[in-house]
Parts: sequence; structure tokens; C-alpha cells
Amino acid sequence: MRHRLTTLWLSTRQLAPGLATGFAALTLLPLSVFATLLALVNPGRILPGAPVLHALANHERLRIGAPVPEVTEPTLRDPVTRRNLLWLPWHAVANTVVSLFVLALPLASVNALLVPTFWWLFPADDPIASPYPVTSWGVAATMPLMAVVYAVLALTVTPWITGVFGRTAGRILAVPTGARLAQRVAELTASRAAALEAHGAELRRIERDLHDGTQNKLVAVAMHLGIVERELRRDPDNALPLVLRAQDAATDALSGLRDVVRGIYPPVLAERGLDGAIAGLIARCPVPCALTTLGPLRAPAAVESAAYFVVAEALTNIAKHSGAQRASVTLTREDTLTIEITDDGHGGADETTGTGLAGIRRRVAAFEGRTEVTSPPGGPTLLRVELPCGS
Amino acid sequence: MRVVIAEDDALLREGLVLLLRSEGIDVAAAVDNPDDLVTALADHQPDAAILDVRLPPTFTDEGLRAAVEARRRVPGLPILVLSAYVEDSYAGDLLAGGAEAVGYLLKERVGKVATFLDALHRVVAGGTVLDPEVVSQLMVRRRADDPIRALTPREREVLALMAEGHANQAIADRLVVTETAVSKHIRNIFAKLGLPPGEHGHRRVLAVLTYLQTSSA
Repeated sequence: MRHRLTTLWLSTRQLAPGLATGFAALTLLPLSVFATLLALVNPGRILPGAPVLHALANHERLRIGAPVPEVTEPTLRDPVTRRNLLWLPWHAVANTVVSLFVLALPLASVNALLVPTFWWLFPADDPIASPYPVTSWGVAATMPLMAVVYAVLALTVTPWITGVFGRTAGRILAVPTGARLAQRVAELTASRAAALEAHGAELRRIERDLHDGTQNKLVAVAMHLGIVERELRRDPDNALPLVLRAQDAATDALSGLRDVVRGIYPPVLAERGLDGAIAGLIARCPVPCALTTLGPLRAPAAVESAAYFVVAEALTNIAKHSGAQRASVTLTREDTLTIEITDDGHGGADETTGTGLAGIRRRVAAFEGRTEVTSPPGGPTLLRVELPCGS
Repeated sequence: MRVVIAEDDALLREGLVLLLRSEGIDVAAAVDNPDDLVTALADHQPDAAILDVRLPPTFTDEGLRAAVEARRRVPGLPILVLSAYVEDSYAGDLLAGGAEAVGYLLKERVGKVATFLDALHRVVAGGTVLDPEVVSQLMVRRRADDPIRALTPREREVLALMAEGHANQAIADRLVVTETAVSKHIRNIFAKLGLPPGEHGHRRVLAVLTYLQTSSA
């Protein structure tokens, strides 16, 4: 008996919130029917109200423990959206009506128990019914029996209905495996394209750095040595300053080469780890900057390299453009590596000008990461980057 | 001789100016972008333009396009293009409008000042100067129906040196043969490439062009 009461309580607790979302679904139903009719004409059309519907359906998915899918484009072509639309009338009508009835059973049982104490207060031509009219003490005496019937119904029907409705909603809301795979393939294709694009952009950047930077400096060395050679033949006194210039150019070439190497894989990452490397970046940043790290910061080399690049670019932006007095960098390593960089500068960071933010976005997208920038005019600017670490 | 320079790297630009001036060449203007080059060419009417293939804004082939544009405005303007690397399609683009007074050299050739000045003078005199790297790259990629394949190895050497812009005597010196022997090779080359008898200098250019066009096709 005790076990049955527990089951009843658990089922009720599961059904009751469904009733609440059922009323929400009921209000959303007319809009969705209208939107679906519109979309039948053009299946590629984005459905109005789809985000609300998706949130509601996902709430239900979480409640019944079904996997929660992403929706990239809420049109009739999207399998998740189609499932949400099927589920909506079911949840709004069938689930609501049946839940109301089932949830009322325990109350009806209590009511039936109490009816013998107050049935005589009702007028004879409009007696209380539970469920049959109680018009005499004789009928009232049967009420405890009725209470038992209601209670038995509540104890048996409620868990059963909860199970049936949970399973049915699960079946309607579960996105077919094929569609889920298709969605995953589409995501992977996009992220792979982004990775290749980022890789290509990296190669182009390195090529340009080498040709326009390092190589030009070395050409300058060769050229100055060539002039030195001519001067040594003609007037050796003129040669010395040119030798010095050639030397400067060679030194420049070397430091340029170091920069290029650092851009490919910063050696400091291998030597001092991500936190040490980022501490080094912060120490070099002309704007005073606080560093907070949460969790052990080891991540795959490519992710660390990207994280280092993100922080380096962001700090460069802050130093060059923000006018900030202070900045802070927070690194959190959970399943993802999260980087948050804020400054108290004048905000208004524009992604369309300059390559800093766009570069960060591209590099992060290559790892299926997320980049968020909020930079209202007047500041403050917040850059938040999440890099999945493949774990 | 008066020249105009277009090079975006400040160190290289100043170095080039220094080098040319110390060799008695008048540098009328040294600019760092294609637009200023067009203006400088119009203002100074130089004997030659020396320019970098990669110029702002995109640093791809602006210099090359500026060269083609400059030659369109001033037909026959001697142009010496410097490039960070060998790309024979660049040479093809450059020579498409005529091979007279055109040079294409790797940047580092400026280190050998005498050779560089020699190349510049040959371009100003109307010759074609291709970097040995360009030439050797062109040599290895030949198709089966390519008339160049009919040439003997020695004739190819001669043609390559012609492409680099050398005169008969210079070719003879390099190959350690007599000038007469070089002339004979050149006559054979002209015949094998099907070039009509006519003005000698023009046919040299045509031979080089045949050589380039068959390779870039």
C-alpha cells in the first residue's frame, strides 16, 4: 500500500507540470496551426513562434528524459520542428484533458468521503453528484464505497496513464535516428569546412609573413652586402655604415622569423603550459590585466594554440583600440575551455573592421567552439570564447 | 638613366634607392603602392620602372597588374618586376603584351649588384630578362607536342640564356663556345620553332615568347 501511495505521488508529480505546459501548449496551438498552414505553401519558410515551440518541446523532452536536439533552421523541412508540431496538439488537447481527469481522482476520493457530512446542504432539485446524485442518507451511506472506488482508480490508473503518456510523448518527440545523423553530418560538414578554411587562412598568413617579412629582410641583407661589395672596391670608407645596416636587417629577419614560428605553435606552450604562456602574454600587455584560472588548464595542443591565439589577439585589441585602464582574463577548464576577456574601455568593438575579432571567430569555429562579443558603445567589452576539448 | 621604384617594404625601397643612386642611376620617385606608381610614371616619364609583384592593398599581384597597366598607358615602357618567388604564370601575364623591355627577376638578385644592373640595362635597351629560376622551371614542364622538345639540349641551353636576356657573345662566353657556334644554334632554334626569317632582334623575342606560351598553355 505504501509502495502504491509512493507511485501515485511520483506519477502525480510527473503529470502536474505536464498539465501546466499543456495549458501553455493550448495557447500556442492556434498560432502554430496558422504558421504551419502558411508554411505548407513554402516549406522553406521560417515558422513564426518556432523558438517558443522548440523551448516548450525541449522542456517536455527534459521532463521525460528524451535527448534534446538542436534546431538550426526552424522550417517544415527540419525534422525536429516537424516533430514539435506533431507533439503540440497531442500535448495541448489529449494530455491536458486526460491529466485533468487523472489528477482529479484523488480529490474526488476525498470529496466522496466528505459528501455524507454536507450533502443535505444542497437543494433537493439540484443535489450534489459524486458521481450519482446524493438525495438521501441511504445514498450518502454508499459514498465511502465510492471513495474507495476513486482511490483504487487513482492508485491504478494514474501511474499507468503517466507511463502511457510519457512513452507516447517520447515517441512523438524523439527525432528519428536518420534525421539526427543527418543533422550531425551537416554540423560536422560545416565545422570541417570551417576547419579547412581556418587552416587555409593560417597557411596564407604564414606564407605572407615569411615572404613579405622574413624574406624581404633577407633580401635587404643581400642587397646591402651587394652595395658593400661595390663600395669596398671603390671607396672602402663608405662600406661600414652599410655593413651595419645589413646587420640590422639580418637581426630584424631573425626576430621576424621568431614571430612567425610563435604564430604557428608558440614554443612557450610546450615549455610552460597554457596558463604559464598566457601569464606571459598578460605580463607583456601594456594595459594592467588580471588573470584567473579555474581547473587544470591542459588541453589538446591545437586547442591550447587556439586559446593562446585568442588571448593574444584580444589583448592586442585591448592595448590598441579599447582605451581601457584595466582588463581581466578568466580561463575555465571544464568539458570545454572557456575564455572570458573583459576590459573597461570605450566599447563599440566592430567585427567588420580589422581582422582581430574575425580571426578569433574563424579560429574558434574550426574547433566547433563559440565566440560571443558584447561591446556596447561606452563599454565594457566582453569577449567570451568556448573551445571544446574533445573530451 | 631615370627610374621609378614601387616597393612596399621600406627597408628594401630605401636600399634600392641607395643602390641605384650609388651606381649613378637617377631615382625619380620611390613609391609604395600602385596608384602612386601610375602618378609617378606620368609625372617623371622615367626610362624604366622597377616594381614588386606584391603591393598594397591585397599583396597578391597588384604590382604585376600595375605593370600591365603601365605598359598599356606607355607602350614599350621598360619594366623590371621583382618577385619574392618564381611563378611562371606571372611571367606569362607580363609578357602577354609583348616581351620587349620586360624583366622578371627574383628579389634576391639585387644582391649581385653587377648582374642586377646588367639586367636593368638590358631591359632598358629593349631586351627580355627572365630569372634563371623561371627559365629552369619552364624547361622542366614541357608537353609532348611542344616544339621546344624538338630542340637539342645545347639549343635549349642557348634558348634559356636568350630568355634570360643575354646577347650572342655573352651566351658564347657562358657556354664556352664561339659566337659563330651560338649563331648557328640560334638559327636552328628559329627554324625548329617555325619562326619566319626577318629582323633578328624581333625573332629572338618571338622565340622566347613561343617558349613561354607553350609552357604556360
